[in-house]
Amino acid sequence: MNRAEIKQLPSRLLLFLILLAVTAAMLAPLVFMLSTALKTTKEMLVYPPRWIPEVFAWSNFRELFANSDIKFGQQYANSLIVAVFSVVGTVISSSLVAFGFARYRAKGSGFLFMLVLSTLMLPYPAIMIPQFLLFTKLGLHDSLLPLILPSFFGSAYMIFLLRQFFTTLPGELYDAGRIDGCSEFRLYWNLTLPLAGPALATVSIFSFIWSWNDLLSPVLYLDSQENFTLPIGMAAMLSSKFRIAPWNLLMAASLLSTLPIVVIFALAQRRFVQGIVLTGIK
Amino acid sequence: MIKKTKGSKTAVILASVLLVFTLAATACGGGSGGKGDTVTITHYTIDSPDRTFVEKLIPDFEAKHPNIKVKVTKAPYEQFDSKLQSSIAAHNAPDVTSHWGYGGFMEYYNKGMLADMTPLMDGFKASDYNIPEDVMNIYKVDGKTYGIPLNSYVTVMLYNKDLFDKAGLPYPPTDYEDKSWTFDKMVEYAKKMTVDSTDISKAQYGVDFGWGERDQRPQYFGADVYSEDTWTNGGKPSQVNLTKPEVVAAYEKIYGLIYDQKVSPTPAFSKSVSGQFGDPFLSGKIAMSVVGSWSLAASSNFNFKVGVAAVPQGPNPKVRSVLYVDPLFILKDSKHPKEAFEWIKYLLTTDVQEKSIELSGGNPPVNQKAADKYYSNFEGIDPEQIKQVFEGAYKYGFESYNHLISNYSQINELFINELAGVENGDKKASEALPGIQEKLQKLLERVNK
Repeated sequence: MNRAEIKQLPSRLLLFLILLAVTAAMLAPLVFMLSTALKTTKEMLVYPPRWIPEVFAWSNFRELFANSDIKFGQQYANSLIVAVFSVVGTVISSSLVAFGFARYRAKGSGFLFMLVLSTLMLPYPAIMIPQFLLFTKLGLHDSLLPLILPSFFGSAYMIFLLRQFFTTLPGELYDAGRIDGCSEFRLYWNLTLPLAGPALATVSIFSFIWSWNDLLSPVLYLDSQENFTLPIGMAAMLSSKFRIAPWNLLMAASLLSTLPIVVIFALAQRRFVQGIVLTGIK
Repeated sequence: MIKKTKGSKTAVILASVLLVFTLAATACGGGSGGKGDTVTITHYTIDSPDRTFVEKLIPDFEAKHPNIKVKVTKAPYEQFDSKLQSSIAAHNAPDVTSHWGYGGFMEYYNKGMLADMTPLMDGFKASDYNIPEDVMNIYKVDGKTYGIPLNSYVTVMLYNKDLFDKAGLPYPPTDYEDKSWTFDKMVEYAKKMTVDSTDISKAQYGVDFGWGERDQRPQYFGADVYSEDTWTNGGKPSQVNLTKPEVVAAYEKIYGLIYDQKVSPTPAFSKSVSGQFGDPFLSGKIAMSVVGSWSLAASSNFNFKVGVAAVPQGPNPKVRSVLYVDPLFILKDSKHPKEAFEWIKYLLTTDVQEKSIELSGGNPPVNQKAADKYYSNFEGIDPEQIKQVFEGAYKYGFESYNHLISNYSQINELFINELAGVENGDKKASEALPGIQEKLQKLLERVNK
């Protein structure tokens, strides 16, 4: 250790302690979630709550999958199907539209873009019923399709995000591509998309999380138990005013339901953070 | 830069039109598909075991009625109303449901959602199903029946026997005619069992007075927030009396339990020991809790010995309990009201009502013959005591405002938001009420035009 390093030691130690405290504060709810998930029904109501359960009730996790009222496994699968297809739909449609807005100038393209952005101002409840009518008339009620199809028609927020990214790509790139004989579609597919990794990671994570957490539209469209998604199942656990909520099962379910988010974030983290940084640069 | 040919554009449009048509063509109509003469009726309810248990009754019902199929659809409590409204808008309405969400009977009635069941009720006698006549009347408007009672909850007092034993106090009585059991005596008991401490692990409170919804509570003290005509004109109060001295005094007394007498928990305490919707009584830190009888269903999960008692005699000699009678409705848009009514009648039979207690985990049957079985459904509590408490509550009961007042969910929300400051101790009830009076009048003018 040289002198300079020794000089820095107190401030480094302080920084380390601050970071440690913040981390603990962030992790505390998660730890408590795990603690509750491992408690028996009787113990979860004990006050003051204990951090470490007397008996580890691992059976709560078994109960989630075994209980025929909850159907956790099926709901998990449904949620994954909807989320994965929503990501695919959002990425393809939004990037295509964003590419158009970013690369081509035409009369009224600015106005069109404003029009797309203005749809951001419509809250979901405003379009809820008309959209519900549309899908019901198409006979798609009580299937996962109404939850997936809208994402194949672009999402204004993602289009905006991607367009901003695409406009930062140098025009010379495209000139070079054209000289090499690329079709317009290949300019999008083979040139733009590979370069837009960070932005696409951002879009994927956002659309996955939105779809994964969505509760209202699945509730509207789905009638049959076998089509239910995870948020419906978890909301249902708290539905009864007439009995104690099974907090322990709910926390076990919550833990398992955060897994995909953690996984997708871990996979895309580097690119995601890059994406946030890059989209901030003009 | 690029030249798009006309042909490709047309192709794109054609392709999209085709896509829409294929979607439409493969769609099967959303009506009630019936082969021969069987019809399918939909029963819409809350997605929780104490409601969805009706699924288990369907095989037996279908065996008895081979021409009727029953489908159960469900939604979580918070989304119950949205899903119902959307399905009605999309002409996809269920046949049978109840006001299980935030809205109440009058709201449904005034929105024109409910079918008049009177024509279906030829030969229907409430006495065949052991339903008291006055309970049947709750869901009648101008002599026409719009709902048939199914379950009836009342207000009860639950008490923590362990805390009573520790304080050396006698248990409160179950007999409503025992007039020595008064509100003041309850407060006196509560004081002896309260440990008012800022240290949340030491704190303990004597009573949690959750009697009815916030706007109904003054009724217990003999003060009425709404004018009398509300109960006869379809739930539209011509006058609200939040600034009348007796109403103000009632609210002062209610919130005085927290801040003057200091025998009741603050909302902050309740939330911290029980979570968002939980009942603080479960934490074992509340000695007496005046609540809806649905809390009884959880009695086997308590960490302490629990007893049930009469709601003490308050200043109002007539009303000591709030009744929550849950009905079944047939919606106006129902395509098969006759078959829907068969299903409702089936659910009311003594035998099915008895079975439902077990299956639902303790829903109180409206059928008085089945009620006896219900009273003996709670481990550790004497059936005779429960029976006495229920019968007293019926005798001195008044139907919950949320079933009787139009647009109740908006009114209730107003009360919750506006009284939050009083409940948290930031202001006095007398300061808050004039503002609520004004806002409530405006709201009623707007919704009851």
